[in-house]
Amino acid sequence: MKKVLIIEDDGFLQGLEAGKLEKVGYQVITASSGQQAMKQIHEPEIGIILLDLMLPDFDGFELLQNIRKMETLKNVPVIVFSNLSEEKDVKRSKELGATDFLVKSNFTLEELVEHIKNIEK
Amino acid sequence: MDELEKLKIENEKLRKISENKSDVISITAHQLRTSLSALKWIFKMFIDGDVGKLSNEQSELAKKGFDSNERMLTLVNDLLTMNHTDEVEIHYEFKKMDILEIAEQTIFDFSGETNKKGIELIFLKPEAPLPLVSCDREMIRVVFQNLIENGIKYSHPGGKVFLSFSQKEKELQISVHDSGIGITNEDKESIFQKFYRAPNAIQKDNVGSGLGLFTTKNIVEKHGGKIWFENVDGGGTTFFVTLPIT
Repeated sequence: MKKVLIIEDDGFLQGLEAGKLEKVGYQVITASSGQQAMKQIHEPEIGIILLDLMLPDFDGFELLQNIRKMETLKNVPVIVFSNLSEEKDVKRSKELGATDFLVKSNFTLEELVEHIKNIEK
Repeated sequence: MDELEKLKIENEKLRKISENKSDVISITAHQLRTSLSALKWIFKMFIDGDVGKLSNEQSELAKKGFDSNERMLTLVNDLLTMNHTDEVEIHYEFKKMDILEIAEQTIFDFSGETNKKGIELIFLKPEAPLPLVSCDREMIRVVFQNLIENGIKYSHPGGKVFLSFSQKEKELQISVHDSGIGITNEDKESIFQKFYRAPNAIQKDNVGSGLGLFTTKNIVEKHGGKIWFENVDGGGTTFFVTLPIT
């Protein structure tokens, strides 16, 4: 199974997401800030990225833009997983190359896993 | 300074206060959603036995907790929608827009929801291009969102929701058709009323505030349009919205 990078600043949510994904067999690496994420995106063989938009140091859009500029990650699915849901956020994410935009509170962790599996197919 | 100038300044002050209020609501709603997401996931872990097997009583309590949390989430979502719609006319920004583009954007938001529920959302693009329509983009997005969300919510697993468009003289007609539970004759008069939820809708999905269609109707009417629905033989409903082409 693929390696998932979770970029999420809320430690509790990050722990729940990571725990669920590891339980079903994914290898998980995490980042709690934009700066940490900028280091983690250089890890080899990242297969999927879960990206929160509100990070303490810089916003997820900026990060998404950087990810899409990287040769190794330009085709890697990036799922924006955020509690923001305004059209401007969805639109900007799509324009910057997000594969999907999921509102956290609309999904259980099982549904998130199912969604990731569908993307992998 | 003349009276008109004074009024303009006062108006600008009020606009700023309203904008600040709106920002506070957005930020608060985001923070609430984060906490409620955590609760949702935790209750689900208990229900699924991820942290050990529960007694029947414990399991029932966890389910009640999950449902109660879902209701709270719905209220927060509605609060966000109201935050955008319950404002004075001045905040509607009418611009000539491509409705199909707004629809496509909204459909993108639903990819997760349709996968989750096993429902196919079909976008029937018209063969001929449609004229631009004067509308507030964010508000029309709410209209699409509410109608599609209802179509998905009240459809049976494996069902289909169709979104289609046509031009009727000086109006653009949007229709959202589902093969779901339908609307009974008893509920026809009340379906657009604030906080009203039809009994068969509550039975299908007990989470809902009854604000969706009320809000949708308000938005459509502020655009000079109309909204109505027809039940479909064999089950399901089609909602129609018309918007004037100006």
